[in-house]
Amino acid sequence: MADRSSGPRTVEVTLTAGPTRLSLVPGVETDAYAYNGTIPGPTLEVREGDRLIVHLRNELPEPTTVHWHGLHIPWYADGSPFHPIPPGGQADFDFTIPPGTAGTYWYHPHPHHLTRDQVAKGLFGAIIVRAADDPLPPLAEKLLILTDARFLADGSVDLPPLTSPEGRVDFENGWEGDLLFVNGQLAPTIAIRSGEVQRWRVVNASASRVYRLAIPGQRLLMVGSDGGLFERPVDTTEVILSNSERVELLVRGTGAPGSTALLQALPYDRYIPQTRPADWDQTRDLLTLAYTDDPPVEPMTLPATMRPVVPLDTAAATVTRVMSLTQGFINGKTMDLARVDQTAALGATEIWAIENLVGMDHPFHLHGYRFQVIDVNGVPVVYRRWEDTVNVPKHETVRIIVRFDDYPGKWMFHCHILDHEVNGMMGVLEVK
Amino acid sequence: MMRRSVWWIRPLVAVPVIVAAVAVVAAFTGGPVIMADGPADPSQVLRGRQLVLEHACSLCHGSFDPGQEGWVAGMMRPDQEFLIGPFRTRPRNLTPDNVTGMGRFSERQIFNSLRYGLRPGETADVEITSTTPGEGNFPINPKYLAPPMPWPAWRHMPDEDLWAIAAYLKHGVAPVSHKVEDSEGPPDFWAGAYTPEEIGTLPAAAFPTAHETEPPAGVDRAQVLRGRQVAIQHDCGGCHGGGSSPAADGWLAGITDPSDAFLIGVCGEAEAGPCFILRPRNLTPDGATGLGRFSARQIFNALRYGLRPSDATDREIAADRSNFPAEPDYLGPIMPWVALRHMADEDLWALVAYIEHGLRPATNEVEASDAPPDRWAGEYTVEKIGPYPATPFPTAYEVKP
Repeated sequence: MADRSSGPRTVEVTLTAGPTRLSLVPGVETDAYAYNGTIPGPTLEVREGDRLIVHLRNELPEPTTVHWHGLHIPWYADGSPFHPIPPGGQADFDFTIPPGTAGTYWYHPHPHHLTRDQVAKGLFGAIIVRAADDPLPPLAEKLLILTDARFLADGSVDLPPLTSPEGRVDFENGWEGDLLFVNGQLAPTIAIRSGEVQRWRVVNASASRVYRLAIPGQRLLMVGSDGGLFERPVDTTEVILSNSERVELLVRGTGAPGSTALLQALPYDRYIPQTRPADWDQTRDLLTLAYTDDPPVEPMTLPATMRPVVPLDTAAATVTRVMSLTQGFINGKTMDLARVDQTAALGATEIWAIENLVGMDHPFHLHGYRFQVIDVNGVPVVYRRWEDTVNVPKHETVRIIVRFDDYPGKWMFHCHILDHEVNGMMGVLEVK
Repeated sequence: MMRRSVWWIRPLVAVPVIVAAVAVVAAFTGGPVIMADGPADPSQVLRGRQLVLEHACSLCHGSFDPGQEGWVAGMMRPDQEFLIGPFRTRPRNLTPDNVTGMGRFSERQIFNSLRYGLRPGETADVEITSTTPGEGNFPINPKYLAPPMPWPAWRHMPDEDLWAIAAYLKHGVAPVSHKVEDSEGPPDFWAGAYTPEEIGTLPAAAFPTAHETEPPAGVDRAQVLRGRQVAIQHDCGGCHGGGSSPAADGWLAGITDPSDAFLIGVCGEAEAGPCFILRPRNLTPDGATGLGRFSARQIFNALRYGLRPSDATDREIAADRSNFPAEPDYLGPIMPWVALRHMADEDLWALVAYIEHGLRPATNEVEASDAPPDRWAGEYTVEKIGPYPATPFPTAYEVKP
């Protein structure tokens, strides 16, 4: 998109959130919301250290905000429910991308009680932060923003009221749709040449669906997550990407020229049994990986190490907090913007034990600060990484370590199943 | 009327012993009322333990005696699941383990689960002052504990008893890490099954209802009313008719539909093993078909010792059991006498008095239940059901508050 800035190391853009009518599924038009008229919204590309200026115009008939999901930036720019932008209003965001945070992020609305509907109607977009010294060789890059949706016969987005039986099921499971989109498209195709290696940045922008990603017949090289690259690549057959999480994959073109492969969402039972969808165990196709007829290129050597992920020192942690997640509650409470649930000292290192007490997964997101996962059910993580969201499976405990090294303010922590978030599964952390 | 019986609760096949949840309410001690988690009161914890024993909590949620492994730690074997219509429901871990048990739930959440049937993991930690959805902190969309959890009976217990149970589970039990898979259920979390029409009112209908009668002159009316409370709070009607509502049709009069019987054993699999049909009998004082055939002592001995009334049980059992029947004929394993036996004598006698003098006789002949040749003696060894009285507090699975 157009960078209005003429200054060095400054990116200045205008984002307009507004209603639009477009065809998301063949044969019918949908009243949707979009940033600058497109779904997904424009991708923002910046470099570490850049100053990013965004002028946000709200042309929606309701309040909105823009949350820069995962970015470590001052509180006033967080776009949380504390800073609603009224209909017809404008807000100017001006912040600098910290060094060392190269990775894939995203932006989406976060107004109190309205997040799910606005995301479901089309308000989401990606942010790519590039490092000056990216350790990976130049590779063809693909951005995959995953969403799902369901529509009524007239093409409108199917968002039943919470009081209806369907709305109650949505409240439990989170809103899911039977149509799976990649960058707003159904079942697109990505071309790859045999032997080629592509770098995929995958964003789960679904309101609630968790993706268990695999390309049957191929292995995946996972090289990064929410907060950028790992220290070393992780060779795997599948990746679970919960709501709002990102993953960077190296897709190696191990297929033969002219063949095809599928990126699929394998079944993943994150559901509470009472409302588990009958078709939860279906495998769903996301896109086709189509090998060109070109002869294979020479396999390239990929780096064995990428960048250091300096561990946060657990011995330095001065506070251990427990976050008990139940169905719709954190520590037995629902969201109250007038209440501060946790208070942390600026500069402190803390360990949070996030306990899921119920029979459904809850992806836990902390605003403003990236963290490292220490262990899951006491088992240390096998690869160190920066995260801003971590899935906490049914009846499991995930411990994270976080340092509140900058930016005092009131930060949200919440379940990123958006139906849970809008209905109060959220709290306030004040860092001061 | 919601009945915990075969048409909607069908124990899975190959169940060695299924015990229907039945409860007991013991004497009201009037101890301090804890309104939220606070320092544990040892006497309250002990009172809670007594209630957990008498109310048969662990017969579904673990083991028979606090000295046995698995005490209130949740179902341990797949055959301890219940099949409620198409749904499998599973007794959960009640120990104070943080993630797999109730350690992170407040005493108030436990109280709310017992008084209102609300799942602690799906309900806010708040004081509830109404049973109307959306009012007084009662959830707009209440999510109820899965059947056969007999909270419609438990809710009739006095506040002090429910707080005592919560105190015991939080402060008197050792945490056990044991994950029980979530129960299945309908998307409304059983709300359609727990309407006042289905489970009766709170408090219960005033005495006497159409199925009850004022006791004759010379009978201790207070004892009869106490016995009525015992019957309601211990869920006798859950199997024997009427649920927790003395106003409901068939109150304590036994099953009328053969499909309300329980199947015990290896049922439904041809020649896989023995299958026994157990039929909750008519408890009213009808002289031909009910307990009017038996003496107060025989009824007492059925509750305390599990002995089916007979000539051999029409006597006070000596403390040394020297006159215990040589070949005891026990009640079938659905009947939770193993828990009821822990009730105080005065509560058992009160229940007997209510049956004899507070209920109207109802004619309902219920066919005798099946039994194995040993009349269930092999299921009721001390090794299996634990000692009477129960192993003293604290056992290896308990902690001092």
